[in-house]
Amino acid sequence: MCTSSRSARLARSTDVPRVRCLVRALVGTVAGALIAIGLVLSGAQAQVAGSPDAALERLLDAAREGMPGTCAQADADRLIRILCAKRIRIGVRDYYPLFGTRTGDKREGYEIDVGMAIGRMLGVQVEFVRVNAATRIPLLAEDRIDLVIATMGHNTQRDNQVRFIRPHYYQSETVVVGRRDLPVANMTDLPGRTVCVTVGNGSNAQLVSQGARLMLFDEAGVLPDRLKDGTCSLAAQDDSFFANYFKEPDFSAAFFPKFGFAQVPWGMAVARQGSEQLARAIDLIVQVFHRDGLFIDIARFHRVESAFLQVQQRVWRKPECNVDTGSTNPSCILPPLDAALKPTSFAPEVTAVESWAAKEAGIDLTLPMLKTAPAWSMFQEGVLNSLILIAGALIATFVLAVLFGAAMAARTILVRWPARTVTVVLQSSPIVLTLVIAAAIAHGMFPYSGTVALGAAIAALGLANGCNAGQALAEAVWSLRAEQGTEMARGTAPGVLRGGGLFARALGRSATQIVAFLINAAKGTPIASFIGAPELLSSLTDITSFASGRATTYSLLLVFYTVVVIIVVWLCGKLRIYLENRQARIEAGKVTA
Amino acid sequence: MMALIEKLPADFLPSFLAGMAVNFEIAVISIVVGLALGALLAFGRLVGGALGGLAASVIALMRAAPTFVVMFFLLNAIPRDAELFGMPFALSGVMTVALSLVPYSAAYVADAAVDALRHLRGGTTLAALLFLPNVMRAFFVLVMSSSAGAAIGVTEGVTVILRQAEKLPALDDRLVLFAIGIVMFGIPLQLAFVLISFIQKRLSRAAVRAPAAGTPQSGT
Repeated sequence: MCTSSRSARLARSTDVPRVRCLVRALVGTVAGALIAIGLVLSGAQAQVAGSPDAALERLLDAAREGMPGTCAQADADRLIRILCAKRIRIGVRDYYPLFGTRTGDKREGYEIDVGMAIGRMLGVQVEFVRVNAATRIPLLAEDRIDLVIATMGHNTQRDNQVRFIRPHYYQSETVVVGRRDLPVANMTDLPGRTVCVTVGNGSNAQLVSQGARLMLFDEAGVLPDRLKDGTCSLAAQDDSFFANYFKEPDFSAAFFPKFGFAQVPWGMAVARQGSEQLARAIDLIVQVFHRDGLFIDIARFHRVESAFLQVQQRVWRKPECNVDTGSTNPSCILPPLDAALKPTSFAPEVTAVESWAAKEAGIDLTLPMLKTAPAWSMFQEGVLNSLILIAGALIATFVLAVLFGAAMAARTILVRWPARTVTVVLQSSPIVLTLVIAAAIAHGMFPYSGTVALGAAIAALGLANGCNAGQALAEAVWSLRAEQGTEMARGTAPGVLRGGGLFARALGRSATQIVAFLINAAKGTPIASFIGAPELLSSLTDITSFASGRATTYSLLLVFYTVVVIIVVWLCGKLRIYLENRQARIEAGKVTA
Repeated sequence: MMALIEKLPADFLPSFLAGMAVNFEIAVISIVVGLALGALLAFGRLVGGALGGLAASVIALMRAAPTFVVMFFLLNAIPRDAELFGMPFALSGVMTVALSLVPYSAAYVADAAVDALRHLRGGTTLAALLFLPNVMRAFFVLVMSSSAGAAIGVTEGVTVILRQAEKLPALDDRLVLFAIGIVMFGIPLQLAFVLISFIQKRLSRAAVRAPAAGTPQSGT
């Protein structure tokens, strides 16, 4: 029954189960007739010189002509290498429902079937290789795959990294999904909120620019689970990805697509170097697939939204597009999403350093924070805010230590006990919780901003460390009072210290503990990123969400903070020596209380 | 308060307690690894010479490394397909947090162990025994610091509270919920501090002027 040319082609190329094929044939008598007519027409078109079909045939014939002699050539195009090996390596997603999933050894999805169809058009076996958003471009560059069909949006930024196949094979937009009861309706509701995203997603930069904090994941497949278990209150990903989940009643009842943005066409891609003929062949294949409606068939089979594909079919059936030059005709193809980031004035030098490190030292150094203007700006802002945060946390810790110390050393219990109670509460609160409470109160008083988050973080770090340092200071005051009492009882007291004199001596006595908590405050500052303070960790997380080089970036971050803390330790050491010397002078009677 | 308790789902308390168990799990892993590494570093320091200098430098670096940054470093700098001695080395969220606390715990243990070993050499055994309450104090600091896992989606105690808080629209309700969280974390912590204080006083009375190890800082 399943013998119409169209159905046969789909069954061959996509391993469609026969049962489905039969059902389709039975219910689609009329459609089958139309398809048959279409195929007759498309078959006729294939005969027309200048058609994409004829161009593809010529290209493949030319590539096969020199074989097997050309197979051994080092500079052979990847198309020749594929034909020689009778195998094409295609990078696909492992866990992107409807488009590319894997259960054991079995892969299925829209992109898998498209990949199989391409393999059949080239007459070669298909070897699928797992890729994700972060690895799909590097694997192409490293010659570990020949072609990538992996939900990759085509933007101007990526145009410099890979050669995109034209026309595009799908189009999606990024959708922000959250619980139905979460009051988020558009971009203006995002500042201060955490959005879970996948590394390398082209729309991350747009979310960052709106003030959203990002939690990064390698695979989109984990996002629905993280929404369900509450790890993420919001997740941003292509609408195509969430489409499958919204078909589940439970998911649909709990979650809702809040809003969409960043419409982007999806492109297959090959390496920029050594793949000219391969790219040309796949351009032509994709053109034919659009014209013949193969993409629509595969999309329908996998229950993928096909509105875009239907529009594309109409385009590629137009006489001006259905020619071998159609894939370069601006009126036929879609432009990439304009996501090119303005490079810094010193970007070429940075790239040269990266190349030098790779060539001379074998170090994979990637410095995305220095190469584009927005990243450089975020990096500078992050460094400055981190230094402000550290200075603020140190000052707040010292000032609050003195205040808590004075209060807990007070002779009246009306001052002493409230201070002790607050100290016990602060000691019992994990620092993350203290930060969140400070941020909640601050945001209750002021509209959200990075400055408010910084202020809340300084207050929280100051309170958490200042109360402990203050306790040490108060204990020093009480111990000094006890010693003075004993000495007075023995009649050996040189003089009674009170007020400022006593306090200054207590500062010296508790210098070690105070310094320890000052250092701790400095070390704790990166946690401020948790409440959206725009310090360096936060900035670099944002930068790496839309650029590569995570390993280098976080290594540099670790070095930065470790060096800063070492400097703080050194400075605090000086402070401790000063306070201890001062105490020694007081005890020697050189400084009058 | 009662209104808030009514708003909380029935599984909040079990979830929170399960979350706190994760905090303790992280702290146990960190202190065990920290004890092993810290002991090695302490011996290195006591040996002196170049090895002592190296050990002191490593301890200083570990002391200066912020836990939160180490956590993000481990999370992002180690490739998902990394191998160690031929074995897969993909870290879970819990292990990432636990290992990020190891620089703190190892440096603290090393400092405390050096003090303890010096007391042992000096014949003040009881003062050396102060190592035990100091390690116990560090353990509870690690329990509190493990809440950093909330930033990378580890379902520990604070994470459970924050997820619940997000569902509460009123600030007052959220603050009450946070207060409940502080009480829940505070009870074991304050009990532990009372116990540590008791042990230290007993040891201090027994040992003549036995000095303790340095002031513990949180592992942040």
